[in-house]
Amino acid sequence: MVKTGRAWYPFLLLVRHPVAIVLVGLVVLFSLLYPQRFLTTLNLTTILKQFVTLVLFALGPSMVVVTGSLDLSYVGIWMLGGVLVWLLTPVLGLFAICVFPLLGLGTGFLVGVVHARGKVPSFILTLCLLVVYWGLTAALSGGYSRTVKGYEFITASLVPYIPTAFLWSLPLIGAAIYLMVRTRVGLYLYAIGSNEEGAKLAGISVEKYKILAFTLSGLFTGLGTIVLFQHLGGSVPVELNLKNVVWPLVAIVLGGTPLVGGSGGPQRTLLGALTFSVFYRGLYLSLLHPEILQLLVGILLIVSIIVGARGLRGVEIT
Amino acid sequence: MRRDDVPVLEVRNVSKTFDTVVRALDEVSIAVYRGEIVGVVGENGAGKSTLMKILVGVHAPDQGILLLGGKEVPFPRNPKEAAQRGISIVYQERGVIPHLRVYQFLFLGHEERYRGPWGLQNERMKREARNILDEFHVVCDVESFMYELPLATQKMVEIARAVLGVRLESQGKDVAPVIILDEPTAPLTLEERRELFQNILRMKETCSFIFVSHIIPEVMEFVDRVYVLRDGKLVAHYDLAQDAVTEEDLFRAIVGRESLAYTFEARKKAVSSEVVLRAEGLTKRGCYYDVSFELRRGECLGLFGPAGSGKSEVLRTVAGILGFDGGKLVIKGQEAFSGEPPHVRLERGVGYCSGEAGKELFFHWSIAKNISIVNLKKILGKFFPVIRFGVERSIAEGVMGKLEIKAPGVHTECYSLSGGNKQKVSVGKWLERSPDILLLEDPTIGIDVGAREDIYEVLLEMKQKGISFILVSDDPKEYALLCDRVLVMRGGRVQRTVSAEEFREVAVG
Amino acid sequence: MIATFSREWMRKNAGTLWPLLVACIIILGFQVVNPTFLRYEGLVTLVYAMSYFLIAACGLTFVIMMGSFDFSVPSVLKLAALLCVMYIEKLGFWAIPFALLVSTGLGLLNGVLLAYLNVPSFMATLGVSIVVEGIGLYLSKGFLHIMYNERFRALATTFIFGLPSIFYWAMGIWALCTFVALCTPFGRRTYAIGGNLTAARLSGINVERQRVYVFMLSGFLAGLSGVLYMAQLGGGSMLIGSDMSIPLFASVVAGGTALSGGMGGPHRTLLGVIIITWIQSGMLMLALGRDIQMVIFGLIAVGVAVATMDRKRIRVVK
Repeated sequence: MVKTGRAWYPFLLLVRHPVAIVLVGLVVLFSLLYPQRFLTTLNLTTILKQFVTLVLFALGPSMVVVTGSLDLSYVGIWMLGGVLVWLLTPVLGLFAICVFPLLGLGTGFLVGVVHARGKVPSFILTLCLLVVYWGLTAALSGGYSRTVKGYEFITASLVPYIPTAFLWSLPLIGAAIYLMVRTRVGLYLYAIGSNEEGAKLAGISVEKYKILAFTLSGLFTGLGTIVLFQHLGGSVPVELNLKNVVWPLVAIVLGGTPLVGGSGGPQRTLLGALTFSVFYRGLYLSLLHPEILQLLVGILLIVSIIVGARGLRGVEIT
Repeated sequence: MRRDDVPVLEVRNVSKTFDTVVRALDEVSIAVYRGEIVGVVGENGAGKSTLMKILVGVHAPDQGILLLGGKEVPFPRNPKEAAQRGISIVYQERGVIPHLRVYQFLFLGHEERYRGPWGLQNERMKREARNILDEFHVVCDVESFMYELPLATQKMVEIARAVLGVRLESQGKDVAPVIILDEPTAPLTLEERRELFQNILRMKETCSFIFVSHIIPEVMEFVDRVYVLRDGKLVAHYDLAQDAVTEEDLFRAIVGRESLAYTFEARKKAVSSEVVLRAEGLTKRGCYYDVSFELRRGECLGLFGPAGSGKSEVLRTVAGILGFDGGKLVIKGQEAFSGEPPHVRLERGVGYCSGEAGKELFFHWSIAKNISIVNLKKILGKFFPVIRFGVERSIAEGVMGKLEIKAPGVHTECYSLSGGNKQKVSVGKWLERSPDILLLEDPTIGIDVGAREDIYEVLLEMKQKGISFILVSDDPKEYALLCDRVLVMRGGRVQRTVSAEEFREVAVG
Repeated sequence: MIATFSREWMRKNAGTLWPLLVACIIILGFQVVNPTFLRYEGLVTLVYAMSYFLIAACGLTFVIMMGSFDFSVPSVLKLAALLCVMYIEKLGFWAIPFALLVSTGLGLLNGVLLAYLNVPSFMATLGVSIVVEGIGLYLSKGFLHIMYNERFRALATTFIFGLPSIFYWAMGIWALCTFVALCTPFGRRTYAIGGNLTAARLSGINVERQRVYVFMLSGFLAGLSGVLYMAQLGGGSMLIGSDMSIPLFASVVAGGTALSGGMGGPHRTLLGVIIITWIQSGMLMLALGRDIQMVIFGLIAVGVAVATMDRKRIRVVK
């Protein structure tokens, strides 16, 4: 048993969150390698911008990963939502942006029901849905990336050097962490991820809370994409970019939420997203070929899963 | 003991039938008094868990009445209702949620009582959790994760959780909690069991326990009264304080199978002197210590002892399912190492046949495929490694004929077979494989006499051919029938080695 | 005759009968809509669309039969095609074994990640496919590479009895895979692992090694498919077949190889591939765009996954 004294707390933090060491190491390393370029306000702002993108995509799915399932539909919500906003802005005006949370909520609920009732593995289910949304996006937009004007106020600069999107993300991050740490719903999601049958025996309606997990994931993604839509340029691509799907996943796994579920959560995803942003920016400054960067991200994903999966016992991996 | 009191919980003439055929419970009556530990013992499939599931509202009985404190009440319809009436259960395994903190786990499912303006009142939960754990003498930090606790402490936290559930659900009404412990010691090591029982004994003042188990020494040591179930019927009831009951009596009451028509005579061939397997001081901490034995060609060695004596663990170590910490295991003159998977052991000539069909069979496969999965080398062609379906079929037909497996044909899928026939398929595939050493774990559990005799006949025939066995079972008669020597184990150690004749006199009489 | 088509027989062979029925309905349906559909030219187009697909699907079938999943098939296919086209001038015909070796090696990597490093297969293969895409983009610099070697192209495009040779390759591979799955110990062991992992271990199957072998097979067939596809097209880039992963998955599952593992097989996959490619050609005939096709394939994939899942046997689905 580990003693949890106050004096030991910073030390414990490092032991339980090994990625924190990596983060500190990366910052030191890149500061030494690129003293002129790394610790500049421009670079730090860029890191923060990337951090926001990752966090807002990964916040919802990290709740689902806590239950041991996987939700890949976030990019689909962003793409389809963007096109719907473009379609609806002439009709509804600025309220059209409300499409995002509604679409997220509906998608999450749908995925949850099909996954919990139909017992389809969630990764393949959400992947199929992602492709469906991608197709719908392309079909509705006529094959062109559409820009919507009028939402620039969302990212209008408020505080120098700090992207406004970051400020917007703070309440969402707070809400997600509160939900997972302080409420019954969060507790039950951890319980389901840790031992699904045990949770059932304890009288928790596993099916209901699984559906709820996906619904919450969709909702948080939907709210996050309101900000992201403008943050990423006020338009959505009509081609699915695999990196948009994989990067938030890397942030979740790197943060220390194991794919089998039960521990981790949104608070860990913050750490993962920050580490990944620093890692990526540092490599970016190194002027490596962009394809090499992608390759390194893939390796990082695999390595972080291997590290996260160490010491697993009694879990059937397929 | 306190016969004049009214029992806190009593069920009378409870029956339950599944699928209109299998009578899982037949007119069973039991009573639990305040502050006592009642044992319910029986083999797998005797109806213990069905009875418990009726008590906690998972199943509804076909007939019977439930009395709580002398008053007749309807049976609970779900675990929550059961808890409101004071009945709660601690499951054998899978009940613990490892990644929750102790206080979170204690109050799991009752969070609505701890809702505050800022979410869950974690501090209040922690405080109350500490009080509860102090009351039950459980020493642990309420903020540590469940997986950090030793297994015995985890079990105690589960028990405390059950009691707590009753208190919270009954809301002030004075109900006497009855906690059902379903095989609570199954995952524990020997030292942890002792610790757990001391804690349970301390809790006797506040609540009653129903202790479901098949580990006889534990039952004898900790239980006030014991009910014995067999094939869904109540066959015996002992008050351990008054009746002079021995472990053997209890054993006989539990097993009490129809007697075999088979005789113990003859068929014993002189065992060759060649040693095929040798264990020297084999040790796995918490399971068994310093186990040494030699197995000769054509010999059947029994590992006899109560459940929890380490016999199954020794067997599984030899099979390659478990590793070992110390000692040496030599198979056919070559040292075998800890951590070798089962397929390496099979290459060394050690097969493992379990009585649990789920570990042996592919239910949606045909009988022929199930038999050939361990005999793939035999059914391959000479020049091309291709399955010859004709050979596969004839092998399966041979096995079916020898074991008298009742099925429409070799292509019948296994899930449609009866329990006895499934078991025959499991044994049949190993018969065909004929490994040098075959490990048998409960080879005839839960099947009828006829099927058992067919299986014994085949096993004895294999023995004549020079195959060695190690047997682990719950039935002493099985040892008497099959074994040449028996290692008597207790508390993880080998106590003595007896010959078949001695064993027969002592254990079967 | 009546006894053969009894209800028992129908129930037993439902897994084959349903896809067969669906295939007939689809073929007839398109024929009614457009009577010229199944003429010689149409047939050749269909065969071209089906052949490379069938080879890759056979490999994926083995993986799904084993209860795992392989995301990396399309990426490996693309990389093999690219390696072939880029090195054929330098290495001559040795470029083909080289490409196959690389793809088998990637399969090996997938298998090792799953079997020895405990990484769930869908994550391992996702990570590997990101890496592969990175390598591919780096090598090709994103360009389309044209193949000028006519002898190499003849591998796939020689007409024998009125059909291109790639068709005979595909049927040969399919027959071989069916044979391996049904008549060899390799196939038996694969089914065993998907059907009951514990029993497979206790029956003395080297589960780890078998898993690695099956992923190697999947990688090899993906590579072969890529090489032949490239010979058929006459050029390769990392953009070909970028949206084939969902149809590929759908065709395997539609054939009757459920995601829960242990059932189905390559013999079934032929039907699935026919259904999916027929639908694809039919949609092309109806002039539906690629976007609508993705929507339809996504929905089909979810539908067949729900329909085939063996819900009784699997208790916990993540």
